[in-house]
Amino acid sequence: MIQAIAFYMFAVLLIAAGTLTIMSRNPVHSVLWLIVSFFNAAGLMVLVGAEFIAMLLVIVYVGAVAVLFLFVVMMLNIDFAELRAGFMKNFPLGIAIALVLLAELILGIGAYGAGVLELGTPDGSAAPLLGRSNIENIGALLYSDYLFLFEAAGLILLVAMVGAIVLTHRERATAHRGHQDIGKQNRRRPEDATVNTRPEVGKGVQL
Amino acid sequence: MVDLSQYLPILIFLAIALAMSAAFVFLPMGVSRLTGTHNPTANKLTEYECGFPAFEDSRSQFDVRFYLVAILFIIFDLEAAFLFPWAVSLDLTGWAGWVTMMIFLFELIIGFAYAWKTGALEWE
Amino acid sequence: MDYANSLYLTGPEVFLSVSGLILTLIAAWGGQKAARLSTILAVGALVGASIITAAFLINPAFEQGGDAFGGLYRMDAFGSVSKLLIYLAGIGCLIVTPRFFDKGLEYRPEYPLLVVFASVGMGMMVSATDLMTLYIGLELSSLSSYVLASFTRSDDRSAEAGLKYFVLGALASGILLYGMSLVYGFSGSTSYLAIRPAFEGTLGTGALFGVIFVLAGLAFKISAVPFHMWTPDVYEGAPTPVTTFFSTAPKVAAIAMTARITLDAFGNQADAWRQVIIFAALASVVVGALGAIGQSNIKRLLAYSSINNVGFILIGLATGTAAGASAMLVYLAIYVAMSLGSFVAVLMLRDKDGNQVENMADIAGLSRAKPMIALCLAAMMLSLAGIPPLYGFWGKFVVFQAAVEADMVVLAAIGIAASVIGAFYYLKIVKIMYFDEPANVVTGKNDLAHWTVLAVTAIFVSPLGYLLTIPMGALADRAAAALFAVV
Repeated sequence: MIQAIAFYMFAVLLIAAGTLTIMSRNPVHSVLWLIVSFFNAAGLMVLVGAEFIAMLLVIVYVGAVAVLFLFVVMMLNIDFAELRAGFMKNFPLGIAIALVLLAELILGIGAYGAGVLELGTPDGSAAPLLGRSNIENIGALLYSDYLFLFEAAGLILLVAMVGAIVLTHRERATAHRGHQDIGKQNRRRPEDATVNTRPEVGKGVQL
Repeated sequence: MVDLSQYLPILIFLAIALAMSAAFVFLPMGVSRLTGTHNPTANKLTEYECGFPAFEDSRSQFDVRFYLVAILFIIFDLEAAFLFPWAVSLDLTGWAGWVTMMIFLFELIIGFAYAWKTGALEWE
Repeated sequence: MDYANSLYLTGPEVFLSVSGLILTLIAAWGGQKAARLSTILAVGALVGASIITAAFLINPAFEQGGDAFGGLYRMDAFGSVSKLLIYLAGIGCLIVTPRFFDKGLEYRPEYPLLVVFASVGMGMMVSATDLMTLYIGLELSSLSSYVLASFTRSDDRSAEAGLKYFVLGALASGILLYGMSLVYGFSGSTSYLAIRPAFEGTLGTGALFGVIFVLAGLAFKISAVPFHMWTPDVYEGAPTPVTTFFSTAPKVAAIAMTARITLDAFGNQADAWRQVIIFAALASVVVGALGAIGQSNIKRLLAYSSINNVGFILIGLATGTAAGASAMLVYLAIYVAMSLGSFVAVLMLRDKDGNQVENMADIAGLSRAKPMIALCLAAMMLSLAGIPPLYGFWGKFVVFQAAVEADMVVLAAIGIAASVIGAFYYLKIVKIMYFDEPANVVTGKNDLAHWTVLAVTAIFVSPLGYLLTIPMGALADRAAAALFAVV
């Protein structure tokens, strides 16, 4: 009963927030509505028992992706009202794509009648292990059976990092002038820095 | 199926938070509308700063460097997210799992060293 | 799981990944000064990976190939041959790169680094026997490619090419993922080994949609019609060495990946996917031939030429037989040499200030100013057109032969008709170079690296290439047999 109420609350809020994401005039409001919809999606994920996905939604999508969206919106400084003017022109195309996706969705729902699927390998050896939380199960698979893909995913992150730096980072000419090298400072000894001289009377110090 | 009853406090908390915040927003509006005079004019509704009309759009263009910082943040955020299932399943995956994560971390540490050394983390 | 065995089988990827990590550190500490060193080391890494792959190929213990990491990855003759092609293409592209950036453009050590990581991804693609390996390999190579496409970020065209490639590539990845999720849903597994028996008999509508969506996503990556629209823009906008890379290595990887998924995972549904592939092949051949006619930019023209060639390669795949797969590999090898050669020749076209020449009008009368470049470029064009004494003819011949053997005479006939149309613009370039009034624009000098790559590819496509026919055919047959061995 409570679950059903919670489900409808999250679902209604999710759809409302999603609609407002598209409809709001101000792109910053759109991003904020998107964040609301992420939170509600996370609630739905908890309801179906996918706690890890819920956590990822909050941490990665709300915490990082949405912030990035905000930055991009602020960075581009596009006149969105002008952009929206093209909406009606592209409307038929959008509807066509939406219809194709809808047809796909109906097909997917049709498959629901086919009965329960056995997930994992054909002999069922990778079927969900009972008695453990799904985070443990994800971990047990990800870091043993799929470790090869996990490491490759690490490489993707590395390439993303290198790519972002290559494309956006600009070496500034002045960057190195005030650059502090702590190692160099620590290595410096008094005898390198100071020198004792005894100049004769009437003569200057020769450095 | 996961036992959802442990999430009940959070749900109640959410419901209360929603109700209270809605009340804080709408109650003063309703009360002022019922008790005070409510006749907005065009001049009253204009935005202003320090008594003057706003000089420019409050939204200003951000530097592209914010974006670089945000991207780097996403990457390390994802890395941290991967640590969580690893930590709770370490007794199941054993040494193989441990070594896997160390290699993964090593890959990203190299990325971190690269970001640091190229000065992507420096602001000016 | 036997980790030692798995590591041996994934040797080329492991080696390249470690090299890539070392190159990252060199890029970090060396900065721009280390660009040349980094290029040399990257070439060394690719040579090392080629040696590992070749050593695997002649290892008698793995004649039938082997599965790594519990069936996520399969190293066999097909994967090895494709990987060798990919690495060799990567080496060729890297060798000719530094000179391009000499002229005021920024060359940085990240360039070879990204090529190495792209090669890791491509190696995973051709060896993938699991939808997830396929996807991660694809993303690794695509992500590197997006960055490479916009590498000269001060150039608007390059930035535009990168953005276009990124947005359309992301859309294609979305389509592919959607299809993969349907395939997973209807078969209950992401492993080819399990999808194959699950897709037996009549295919349900949903599963069919899954297969078609997967093929659509893959068609995007190999730039087959009707998903080719990004190719001319990206090829034109990206820096020329990057275009050289795009038209060779990733093409091999994407086509090999498509071959494995269709023949292995969807092997029981040949009628379903063959229709799609036949359509894509025919459409690519025709659109590639017709689209090239009006082009005045050489890179754009070569982009259409590559669409056209992808069509011929797909004819080999469309037969669905071992002979067809073997013909596909032979064509692919010849295509890589032709494509590499033509783009390197384009790279060598410089005006007196050292700027790149890309306009057709500017190469008029090239035979007088630069007879050797003109000769090589003419050989490439005639070979692409499939004119007999050159080696390009042999590729078309084996593909058509396989198509006729598989009772696809109509397909072969349309292919031959389209190659006649295609010959028109290849011959037009030759005519412009040899018979038009000299424009005297191309006067810049070139270094040894360009000449070496151009000479090697030119010798390969020249009639001397036929000396390789027998060993190459045997290797391709073995690779194709490996693809069918899992059946």
